[in-house]
Amino acid sequence: MIISSYMRAEHRECDELFTSAEKSVIEGNFEQAEKQFLLFSNDTLTHFKKEEEALFPTFEEVTGSSEGPTRMMRYEHEQMRGLIGKMAGAIENKDKDAYLSIAESMMILLQQHNMKEEQMLYAMCDRTIPQDKKESIIETMKTIEL
Amino acid sequence: MFNQGGLSLDQAPPLSVVLRFFVTASIFGILLGLFLLLQSLNITTLSSYSTQLIVIHTLSLGVMASFMLGALFQMLPVLAGVVIKTPTTKAMMVHGLLTVGVLTQLFAFGISSNSLLYFLASAYLGSALFYAIYLMLKELIKIRTHSSSSKGILFALISLIFTVIFGVYLLLTEGGFINGIDFSQIKELHYSFALFGWVSLLIVSVSFQVIEMFYVTPSYPKSISKYLSVTILGLLLLKTILILFGYPTTLLTITITLLFLAYATVTIDRLTQRKRPVADATVWFWLLGMALFILSMTITLIGSFLTISSTLQHLSYIAFIGFTLSIVFAMIYKIVPFLTWFHLSNQGYMEAPMMHDVIHPKKAKIHFYIHVTTIFIWILTIKLTILGSLLLTISFSWLFYNLIFAIKKYVYTQKHCEKIEW
Repeated sequence: MIISSYMRAEHRECDELFTSAEKSVIEGNFEQAEKQFLLFSNDTLTHFKKEEEALFPTFEEVTGSSEGPTRMMRYEHEQMRGLIGKMAGAIENKDKDAYLSIAESMMILLQQHNMKEEQMLYAMCDRTIPQDKKESIIETMKTIEL
Repeated sequence: MFNQGGLSLDQAPPLSVVLRFFVTASIFGILLGLFLLLQSLNITTLSSYSTQLIVIHTLSLGVMASFMLGALFQMLPVLAGVVIKTPTTKAMMVHGLLTVGVLTQLFAFGISSNSLLYFLASAYLGSALFYAIYLMLKELIKIRTHSSSSKGILFALISLIFTVIFGVYLLLTEGGFINGIDFSQIKELHYSFALFGWVSLLIVSVSFQVIEMFYVTPSYPKSISKYLSVTILGLLLLKTILILFGYPTTLLTITITLLFLAYATVTIDRLTQRKRPVADATVWFWLLGMALFILSMTITLIGSFLTISSTLQHLSYIAFIGFTLSIVFAMIYKIVPFLTWFHLSNQGYMEAPMMHDVIHPKKAKIHFYIHVTTIFIWILTIKLTILGSLLLTISFSWLFYNLIFAIKKYVYTQKHCEKIEW
């Protein structure tokens, strides 16, 4: 289950960063919020990139399908990229209500996305991809940057 | 089987599927409040038995079943990865039959001498509920790898089957169509499956995922998420056998209440450990709901050992109703704003209103204050009062207003905002 545990740990790190940015916005500390938000968006977007460039192509190659779950995950990544852009705008404008409102949608979208990945997709990856390939994917993912 | 589209554009049911149920439920809630108001003013001449039946079934079917079936149509794709095809037509059928069925049943209880009404009520309600169960169960049983939520929903629906079978038996007995030898035993099984099985198990199953998803909390312990729902259903089935063969069931009731007490305590613990700092009314609704669940189950537990007064008994009922309504409100104030934004955004409206523009958290907080006051007054007075009835009417009216506001936002955006074709 090395894919599941590696990817799940990244999800939890993103959750931590998301909640600390949200906390700073609630406290009205936008300087701090901006720093934390940047960490959140960087980590989240890098995580998406790792999936799209390393994990998903291997899964698609092994299963022979790019029309299945990975297509949906890529679509949801796009939706969330849009929301991250809007959140950045709200932080820049120091608009607390707008930020919290967008963050609410982001959180639900992100969590249901993570659940689908953790409960289904990563488990499928761990089952179908050979062990040596899994190890090399993880090594590749570690080198991917935004 | 992979959930390809919990919230995908292709598979999420249209907003109308969910909202038709929610709006109807809030109208039934308003009607209930007004009915209680008339009762508290001594304007009607109904017997207390008829009044009791009317109140219980407006709440359990008109309000709760409408909310819960609407939520299930929406949440099954997300929580269980199953999709009901052509959901609009199917939801319309269930909704229509259920609404007509509830109204017919209420008139049957009001005019107790009319046996045709009892027959029609059992036909409408039976077909509405069995059809809904069929639509959902046939998809749920296909799942190979169940999550704790999907399994729990499956067991809640099985409990609903028993609730409906026993309910139809009771209605046909009341209508004089069958002699109903085991009336009191079946009645006990009817409400056991309805309250412990259908309502509680559904809330429990949904909470296994949404608490973590909405509030970023630690997961439930495996012992609870994996085994609670199957154990409750097992105990209810055992209770059916024991009751029908005339054996005592006190030990089973004690076990069920203890299990629910453990669940509610863990849920409160998880919510207090939530990572999201937002002081959201929906968290308050969850916490209040769980506290009321604990109160209701504690009284039921005490009642298993000692003879308790009717006041305490009524307190237990009020707490249970407060519990279910709190959770329903908690869910609605998350689901409706999210879905409104989600559907509009997926339809290509770049200026789709964000969640706070659909129902602002302040509005949810106002509802929370009204709801808390309502529960407080009912607990304080126990009996029917003008104030308690009035507050209940206001509570559902406020919800109705918020839902209509959300619908208007949705329609306005579709009519007046620029749409980008994908």
